[in-house]
Amino acid sequence: MYPVISRHLISASAVLLSVTLIAPAAHAQSRAETLRYVTAATVNTLDPNIPGSTREAFALSMSSYDRLVSFGRKQLNGRWVFDLDTINGELAESFSISPDGLKLTFKLRPDAKFHDGSPVTAEDVKWSLDRCVTAPVLGKAQLLTGSMTSADQFKVIDPLTFEVTLPRPDKLALPNLATVYPIIINSKLAKSHATPEDPWALSWLKENEAGSGAYVVETFKPGEQAIAKRNEAWNRGSSDKPASFKRLIIQSVPEPATRANLVERGDADLVIDLQASDVQALEAKGKLKVISTPQYNAVTFISMNNKIPPFDNVNVRRAVAAALPYDDMFKAALFGRGAPLFGASWADGKPPSGGYPIPQPVKLDLEKARAYLKEAGVPEGFATTFSFNVGQASTAEPMAALVKESLEKIGIKVDIQKLPDAQMSTSINEKKLPFFTEGIVAWLPSTDYFYRNFYTGTQRWNYSSTDNAELERIAQAARFEPDKAKYEAEGKELNAIHFEQMFQVPLWQPAQDAVMAAKLDGYVYQFTRQVDYRNLSRK
Amino acid sequence: MGTISATLIRAGRRFLSSLPALFGVLVFTFLLMRVLPGDPAVFFASGPSAGKEEIEIVRKQLGLDRSLPEQLGIYLYDVGRGNLGRSMMTGQPVARDLRQRLPASLELTLTALVIALIAAVPLGVLAALRPNSLIDHGVRLFCSLGVCVPTFVSGLLLIYVFYYLLGLAPDPTGRIDIFASVPPARTGFLMVDFLLAGDFEGWWAAARQLMLPALTMALFVIAPLARITRASMLVSLGSDFVRTARSIGLSRWQIVVTYALRNAMLPVITIAGIVFSTMLGANVLVEKVFSWPGVASYALDALLVSDYAPVQGFVLLMASIFVVVNLLVDVLYGIADPRATVA
Repeated sequence: MYPVISRHLISASAVLLSVTLIAPAAHAQSRAETLRYVTAATVNTLDPNIPGSTREAFALSMSSYDRLVSFGRKQLNGRWVFDLDTINGELAESFSISPDGLKLTFKLRPDAKFHDGSPVTAEDVKWSLDRCVTAPVLGKAQLLTGSMTSADQFKVIDPLTFEVTLPRPDKLALPNLATVYPIIINSKLAKSHATPEDPWALSWLKENEAGSGAYVVETFKPGEQAIAKRNEAWNRGSSDKPASFKRLIIQSVPEPATRANLVERGDADLVIDLQASDVQALEAKGKLKVISTPQYNAVTFISMNNKIPPFDNVNVRRAVAAALPYDDMFKAALFGRGAPLFGASWADGKPPSGGYPIPQPVKLDLEKARAYLKEAGVPEGFATTFSFNVGQASTAEPMAALVKESLEKIGIKVDIQKLPDAQMSTSINEKKLPFFTEGIVAWLPSTDYFYRNFYTGTQRWNYSSTDNAELERIAQAARFEPDKAKYEAEGKELNAIHFEQMFQVPLWQPAQDAVMAAKLDGYVYQFTRQVDYRNLSRK
Repeated sequence: MGTISATLIRAGRRFLSSLPALFGVLVFTFLLMRVLPGDPAVFFASGPSAGKEEIEIVRKQLGLDRSLPEQLGIYLYDVGRGNLGRSMMTGQPVARDLRQRLPASLELTLTALVIALIAAVPLGVLAALRPNSLIDHGVRLFCSLGVCVPTFVSGLLLIYVFYYLLGLAPDPTGRIDIFASVPPARTGFLMVDFLLAGDFEGWWAAARQLMLPALTMALFVIAPLARITRASMLVSLGSDFVRTARSIGLSRWQIVVTYALRNAMLPVITIAGIVFSTMLGANVLVEKVFSWPGVASYALDALLVSDYAPVQGFVLLMASIFVVVNLLVDVLYGIADPRATVA
């Protein structure tokens, strides 16, 4: 009896010993070739088209799937950001636009293969884009903004040539194909998992990946982690070689202080959603690389519902705009991390540019605010509520307190309302909130896009419930304006109307603070406001 | 034999009588979720280009376009078949999510409870043996501190000291080192699965991962357990049978442990049962701080985004666990005090 046990013990301890001795070396090596990204959010689907997809799901899909084309990058104030005006082929080796602007022709890479080894063909592209405009998915509304609405517009010319026909020339058609949704799916594989009720294999693709991208998803645990390994055959990067990291770990770590600890100790390589105060502390210590990029396709507002009294009165809106303590808010909410959209001075009162958003000539001036209130016929002020959502509490809470304090000085009594995220979005959608703070983001940030989506119609994104015929007319005209100078002039007109009517007050573009290991290289701020893991490498 | 079968019959009867309560919980949670403001369809159709149409698609997918009684009927039918619905947040069936996450929560809570009991019972006994002495005050101070420091503060503090400063603890991100391999899932309890797989190094790694969160939780519940042990020990020590035991010259150890403590255990078991059930649902802060993939943080995330199915599933699960734990406490009563089985 005893000898048996001891023999077992010896062999067990021998195994244990060898494991302990070998493990650290292997561990260290795989660690260097692994990118560990920690985030508060979670990947909840492998197909970004599923309604309810999170931004982390978008980011992973950028690496697991290819699209026909992708955005290039440019430098903005010394930091790399995505470039809407440079479109590179991704699965397309080359592409061309017909002289009348109605036909986009794509030549596919002959060497491109899906993760199961089958070649990428024009049939797959057609099936994937058909799915995008036909199935009940998120891509539908997106591609609509690029004049792609029907499967009839997509045509297979030969196995490696694919053609998109547009009803009218549309400068947003091509950029749309580089956004998150029009992923190219392995159609044979997906079709084999389709059912009569689910012809587009939505439920299968949600949990299984069938792409050709730079990373192959290995483990996917919603709410915990997603792990992917490098696709060695992938050559769609700018430098025609596979992605730099062999392994990619996306891990959910809800506590911001823990994320800060992890990246500071070197256990995590990259995090983009730390609290501003932590970012500042880490930056001051100087051990890590901090890249702060103002989110140039996003804006934070203080919004007023132009349909709810007293905010239907333009002078009330102007009074509010003149009574906001901009500098204090910027410091308290963002610790000054971002690009302010206030305090500009416009020569002769005209907008200096047709871009959107541009810094507004607004500043704290209580005398002026009181005068506006008087003009509006409410010199005594009024009472209202100011709402923000719990998810944004870390920035919105100090901001709300400052708004309340400052508006009290001109007689506006503000009651602060903190709403759970779902309730906030519901109230905004139903146009029930008079006065609140929210943000917007556009993947394809052009002036007309912002004005058409955020200042017209009755949908949720028209926070201010703006209903201005002239603005709508100009924005629609600008949509298909081929002439750059005219487009710029129309943009200036729109900006002038915005300032004149003060629909809502643009505050700032918050910075995205990417905090990373000092040796990490290649970070680019992306339109998804997420990390494109394919860009990154370790020096 | 007779006592065991009597216990079983009693437990069975108890279980049956709790079924109406479970049903009530089911319907109540269902209605409560619908009464809460916040439309999940609007929240989940929130891509940058989502309009009215997308919201309608999501609403239809969730079945929220039907009338309330109809929704309730479908829900009850589904629950009857073991289908708890699908979570929008994770995209997975709720039953699967809960099945994966419950072992994590149970493992953490059980470990915490064991640590708490191991610490609390001796502390309570010591305090009771020397009431109002320095030891008693020390225990009181320790308990007050444990209970008044919120778990996320003690959790962050422990992380700061043991992970950040000393580097003794592994990184506080879930149940197992992200670079380690997971044992084949047999029970879902990592401590058990690693043993079954014979991977002792993995077992040690998982145990290290478990230490800080379990300690954080234990700190919080040591107080009620120690206080109740002290109070009921005082009663026990002052009672006639202890005086008798003393007078016939039994050893001190025998008096304290065999007679006084065993008689003092009943309230402690009751409180331990309640503490366990509460901990399981209320340890959300600990789960958040340590990225522990448990059920409580899952339910909280779902609640914030008005994801109905997971919240309903969670409440049902908690109610069922409460029933089971109460049953278990009943059975333990029988062991601690044989008279309880006869009644």
